[in-house]
Amino acid sequence: MVSVPSPTHGAHSATAVEPPLPVKLVIAGGFGVGKTTAVGAISEIRPLTTEALITEVAAGVDDLTHTPGKTTTTVAMDFGVITIDPKLKLYLFGTPGQDRFGFMWDDVVEGALGGLVIVDTRRLDDCYAAVDYFEHKDVPFAVAINAFDGEVQHDLDEVRWALDISEHVPLVVFDARETRSVRDALLVVLDVALTRAQAANPA
Amino acid sequence: MVAGEPVPHNAAARERTAEDSARDVPEPTESEVPTEPVESAESVEPAEPVEPAEPVGRASAIRPFLLTAGRVAGSGTGPPLPVETQIVTTPDGLSALRSLTFERRDIVAACRRPQSVAELAARLHLHLNVVRVLAEDLRAAGHLAVHVPNTGTVHDISVLRRVIDGLRAVPDSRGSLRDSS
Ligand SMILES: Nc1nc2c(ncn2[C@@H]2O[C@H](COP(=O)(O)OP(=O)(O)OP(=O)(O)O)[C@@H](O)[C@H]2O)c(=O)[nH]1
Ligand SMILES: [Mg+2]
Repeated sequence: MVSVPSPTHGAHSATAVEPPLPVKLVIAGGFGVGKTTAVGAISEIRPLTTEALITEVAAGVDDLTHTPGKTTTTVAMDFGVITIDPKLKLYLFGTPGQDRFGFMWDDVVEGALGGLVIVDTRRLDDCYAAVDYFEHKDVPFAVAINAFDGEVQHDLDEVRWALDISEHVPLVVFDARETRSVRDALLVVLDVALTRAQAANPA
Repeated sequence: MVAGEPVPHNAAARERTAEDSARDVPEPTESEVPTEPVESAESVEPAEPVEPAEPVGRASAIRPFLLTAGRVAGSGTGPPLPVETQIVTTPDGLSALRSLTFERRDIVAACRRPQSVAELAARLHLHLNVVRVLAEDLRAAGHLAVHVPNTGTVHDISVLRRVIDGLRAVPDSRGSLRDSS
């Protein structure tokens, strides 16, 4: 008779199909801030889009005028993967940041290691909902200003003040198109998560 | 339970993986689940993962409810499956592949390679909640093993360190061509 491997203890015969441990980070922000771009820059697969339950977006509600050439937007989650090692996979979820998608966030943010809120300084108020959400849920997060065309139109202190985020929340400037830049921003988030976990479990 | 290990969704899900012998007699599953005809070992599909053909088009707003007979993810016993939940085809699922149709078949075929609920939804162009409902069904029928992640992982310092080290190792640039597999 064939022995039945247990999933948690040395299932040697089944290593090929033993799934990796999944962990996730959430990338949030308003329309057109660079969520899909950021996931695509760091993911080892082309970003996939997962359709969420709602399929219609109220047209004309969202101000897209600041992002030329952007005419459509999807109510969907971007999905990317980074294989950390054969037993550990980091998933990235890019989620729309508006208030009315709040119900989607619960679904995705539950169990996330942390979040990165992407901000376009030309439309700061688009990210309030995401910042509030992470703060309220007590999820480790950082704020990343996407420097479209290398221009940040406010200085960082102004942004911090405008977003009303505490000094504990890291604020970085990044380029959503660059792998290294996205990687470093995510490392900032993980650093917050690690610091917090260490404070909760002193060695 | 070791913190950070995926937790089997239930005992039925735990017992089987695709490397077990396909000759096993299926265990009894929940009574309301219709038994799928199980084919003989000779007809079992090759073990190496084969991507199902990409379905065309986008899921409509109405179809999800038809696919799931009106059921909604999370309305049953527990919370909805987390989006990163890993799903793997069992030997029974592999044996039953030819008797399955449409989305169920696509899901069981795709999960010969373990993948997350979100990935599956994206690849098969199905709504997240449709995948959740169908995955629960297929698990109940013994066709899939469903590994729900342990919530304690978030605070697991060693896991966080591994993720940080792994992310640091990501090169400065990804290069232009990556394939999704
Ligand atoms: N110049 C410049 N353009 C960028 C940058 N990041 C993103 N873009 C462009 O801005 C547009 C919007 O970026 P997306 O990544 O699609 O933004 P998004 O947040 O996913 O948008 P939605 O999903 O519609 O909410 C695209 O045309 C990108 O190519 C950047 O750092 N610099
Ligand atoms: Mg996008």
